[in-house]
Amino acid sequence: MNPQAKLIFTASLLLGTTITISSHHWIMAWAGLEINTLAILPLISKSHHPRAIEAATKYFLVQSAASALVLFSSMTNAWHTGQWDITQMTHPASSLILTSAIAMKLGLVPFHFWYPEVLQGSPLTTGLLLSTIMKLPPITLLYMTTPSLNPTVLTTMAVLSAALGGWMGLNQTQVRKILAFSSISHLGWMAIILIYNPKLTLLNFYLYALMTATVFLTLNTMKVLNLSTLMTAWTKMPSLNAMLMLTLLSLAGLPPLTGFLPKWLIIQELTKQDMVPAATTISLLSLLGLFFYLRLAYCTTITLPPHTTNHMKQWHTSKPTSVLIAILTTTSIALLPIAPMILTII
Amino acid sequence: MALAVMLLNGASFHGGCCRHKVLLSSLGPLLNNSKLYSSYRRPGAEPEKKLSWQNADFSFKKSMEHLKTQLSLLKKETQDYLQGPGGHPLSQHLLEQTRVLWQFRSQEDLNKWVISSDEEIGGKSKVYVKLGRNDQAALLYGTLNTEVPRDGETKYSGYCSMRSRPAVGSFNRKKYYDWSNFNSLYLRVRGDGRPWMVNIYTDPYFSHQKDDLYSYFMFTRGGPYWEEIKIPFSKFFLSSRGRVQDNQHPIWLDKASFLTLGFTIGDKVNGPFQLEIDFIGLLNDRAHREKFAYEAYDKNTPV
Repeated sequence: MNPQAKLIFTASLLLGTTITISSHHWIMAWAGLEINTLAILPLISKSHHPRAIEAATKYFLVQSAASALVLFSSMTNAWHTGQWDITQMTHPASSLILTSAIAMKLGLVPFHFWYPEVLQGSPLTTGLLLSTIMKLPPITLLYMTTPSLNPTVLTTMAVLSAALGGWMGLNQTQVRKILAFSSISHLGWMAIILIYNPKLTLLNFYLYALMTATVFLTLNTMKVLNLSTLMTAWTKMPSLNAMLMLTLLSLAGLPPLTGFLPKWLIIQELTKQDMVPAATTISLLSLLGLFFYLRLAYCTTITLPPHTTNHMKQWHTSKPTSVLIAILTTTSIALLPIAPMILTII
Repeated sequence: MALAVMLLNGASFHGGCCRHKVLLSSLGPLLNNSKLYSSYRRPGAEPEKKLSWQNADFSFKKSMEHLKTQLSLLKKETQDYLQGPGGHPLSQHLLEQTRVLWQFRSQEDLNKWVISSDEEIGGKSKVYVKLGRNDQAALLYGTLNTEVPRDGETKYSGYCSMRSRPAVGSFNRKKYYDWSNFNSLYLRVRGDGRPWMVNIYTDPYFSHQKDDLYSYFMFTRGGPYWEEIKIPFSKFFLSSRGRVQDNQHPIWLDKASFLTLGFTIGDKVNGPFQLEIDFIGLLNDRAHREKFAYEAYDKNTPV
């Protein structure tokens, strides 16, 4: 892509995110969300393939509808309470509409249908942006309006997200769709603890963004788009392959890897808040996610395929493993021992 | 009101001779009491005696049967989902290098395909399909006739084709297949030397893509021996309504949804044709390394 265009889109993404997370007025937050939506559309449809255009169209329609609902909810709140402050979303109907709007933006069940298709139609790096940067502003808005959100709605959406993210990811063979469903189930974990301890939501998001960035960048380096290609990726970079397995298990939430930290703290907090059935349900449902992460790890590292590689340029790695992937991999695997320090930071 | 009735009565009486009058021509559709839509039909089409909605059969028993069939299909789909991707265990998905999509061994295999020719636009080609000897293949045969139908707007004619019906799951939902393991089409055919065109129609998301077709050619030998033709998916070019497009892109095989495969003959040669097809399958050809055969050049490169 044209470097100047890429610069404009990246700068717009950062600008939109910054505007939303640093705003006090609902209109500024909405403006930031819209800038984000528009900036990422060319990145999704870069290859001009009909499927990419379809993904961009679906993304645009859903996000625009959600932004309109955000604006509408803030407007009704301003009508009833007379102020546009983000942290004072006191009108219950407004906060309900806002919750559904942010759920649409994030991809929480039952507004998740667009997410796997959009991720499948976009390139891997854009998928990374969709899963991490595009989720930051909506989660920030939820963080700021926590006191006025309805706990039942959030808990229901969270449990359903963990359930559907697990079940629908089970039979996928396309790696991007699997990562989309993993994102949906992680969002469920983020949403369930929002009312009780919003800082844990942010911690979960940061660690999820770290691990997802590692996985996406690793897959981008190995040029892997489906399970069959994943099986023969070990020939290209054996060490990166082994690290990918650990990163996937970290995403699944297995101790002693980093991904266990948010799940542990969330279950502890839910138990303290006397929400033991919810904690049990969501833990059991994340076992479904564990199944497909294990399947990915199996295809990557644990199994050797009997046939030769089916992807060209096997011995030709065009670029060496970047420092960024090394740093991200290390942090996404080995952060659990310094958990007390992380708790003081967030 | 009475005036309108009088006018209508008078109009229907004078119907035949007063058409040129503006008033009566504006009342034209109200006069002939048969249809309120256009009665133009293409030269090759049969005149409609019974409208299609009059054929609907609203019996409760039939609908219950239909519901039972759909529910059993749904149950089968759920069981397939429990097995693994595509209804087979994951090991099969990871290890398979060939897959048979359609094979012609019985009449119900033939029913999955639809034949058509230029008779639908008024031409004179004929096409038939039947099971070959010993039910081992499908025989597509007929006569191609390039005589142009005289309706004033058609310039070329003479084509026959056989297309597969798209696969539908329970409750007529579209079925999605994952062909990302494969990179070529594998056909076992015995032709008569005439060139055929293989067309793939993928389900479009946008309505302006509904005429998009990916095509490539299949040249048959004509001998008494069976041929195994491999056509890689990287060779299929995109055309829309018969016009090859400038912006070419490869077919994405990860969601081969609602896909129909078709064979067309239209090589402007009058005469009989014949094609026997044993089976149609997919192959992962390890020797084929090409991603896409057609390069797209930048159209307005900055100087």
